[in-house]
Amino acid sequence: MDSAFPEQAGGGAVPEVPEISRDEIKRRLNDPSLTLIDVLPREMFAAGHIPGALNLPLTELEQLAPRMLPRRDADIAAYCAKFT
Amino acid sequence: MAVGLLQQMGYTHARHYHGGIADWQESGLPVETAAAAAAASVEAPPPVPTPGETIVEPARGRAAQRMAPGYGRRWGGAVLDVVESLSAAQIFLVWLGVVLSCGVIYWLAGFAGHPGLVDTGRPVAGNLRGLLSAIYFSFVTTTSVGYGDVLPLGPARVLSIFEAVTGLLIFGALVAKFVSRRQDELVRDIYNVTFETRLDRVQTNLHLVLSELQSIASLCDEGIRQPERVGARLESAVLVFGGELRAIHALLYNPQRAPEETVLEAILVALHSALRTLSDLVICIPPEFTGATTVSAALRNIRLLAEDICAECVPQVYAPGLSTWMDRVQQTARKIV
Repeated sequence: MDSAFPEQAGGGAVPEVPEISRDEIKRRLNDPSLTLIDVLPREMFAAGHIPGALNLPLTELEQLAPRMLPRRDADIAAYCAKFT
Repeated sequence: MAVGLLQQMGYTHARHYHGGIADWQESGLPVETAAAAAAASVEAPPPVPTPGETIVEPARGRAAQRMAPGYGRRWGGAVLDVVESLSAAQIFLVWLGVVLSCGVIYWLAGFAGHPGLVDTGRPVAGNLRGLLSAIYFSFVTTTSVGYGDVLPLGPARVLSIFEAVTGLLIFGALVAKFVSRRQDELVRDIYNVTFETRLDRVQTNLHLVLSELQSIASLCDEGIRQPERVGARLESAVLVFGGELRAIHALLYNPQRAPEETVLEAILVALHSALRTLSDLVICIPPEFTGATTVSAALRNIRLLAEDICAECVPQVYAPGLSTWMDRVQQTARKIV
């Protein structure tokens, strides 16, 4: 499933929601230029998240994002429980 | 959904990891839990940063601490947790236990030949009368009354100071317990009232949105004669709809209290019919209305939020009737172009 999607959005038709593959996240796990965001509720974040991910629950995303992610051009990978 | 929101907020390089945490775990990659993260942030020294990593990496750690409750709290927090977990009666028993055992220690100290307590000039005897004097002294000390008829000598002085401080702290915790119980009740009452009011408002607003969308739809079928007015009405309807949908989304994803099943069902049914009317309306209405920036942003928002509502995606399991309605909400949301 992962290889079916381009790793970088851009060039040609830009999809409405750009995707990032598991492999890229894995490769850049310790790379500070990629910010991982877990949008699940806090309890689910506490139960298990990708190492180094920040918890911005979806319901609080709008309030938290400007504070936690000051750079609008930062490379961000967001994830939730699964594809919905 | 999240990425859509981030894009609306101006984040240009936000991407979505479709597999989510489920896919990550299934492929055998490590996950971090709150307990492990707390342990790592409290005990383990931070890894030696490579150049360039210095600024971002600690920030991640700190952010994680701020985000999850209970992170970074050491023994002070642990003590508070213990006090929190004990009932008022248990705290009282602990206090009584401390007072009585200190009394026995004073008495035993005198018994064992150390200078212990002196009762009006004479050393406390090693009999029952002496034990009662020692316990009496213990109570007088721990309540910080300190009559002074029984005096401690030598090591007993150290213990009496320790007892006075500890006894007061435990007594303070006991008093705080009573106060906080009353406060908890008040806060719960207030929360319940606002929660009910909020639910009522969600229902009322959804019905208003529904009837407004229906009347716009009927205008649309007959042919629009006053485009400006229809545009304004559509805009305010979708904006209110978006706001209420956000509240419903929060209710399902971050429930501090579960609403009654009938209430939730009524909300979901109303939400579903509003979404259906909206999807019909979007098809019927000329694109210049839905193309306006505010309307199209609100529509996208509604679609993203409503797509998140399905029995499988919400963190809790609801009754089958409710689950069906949630799935219908998601299906209908996908029809909104």
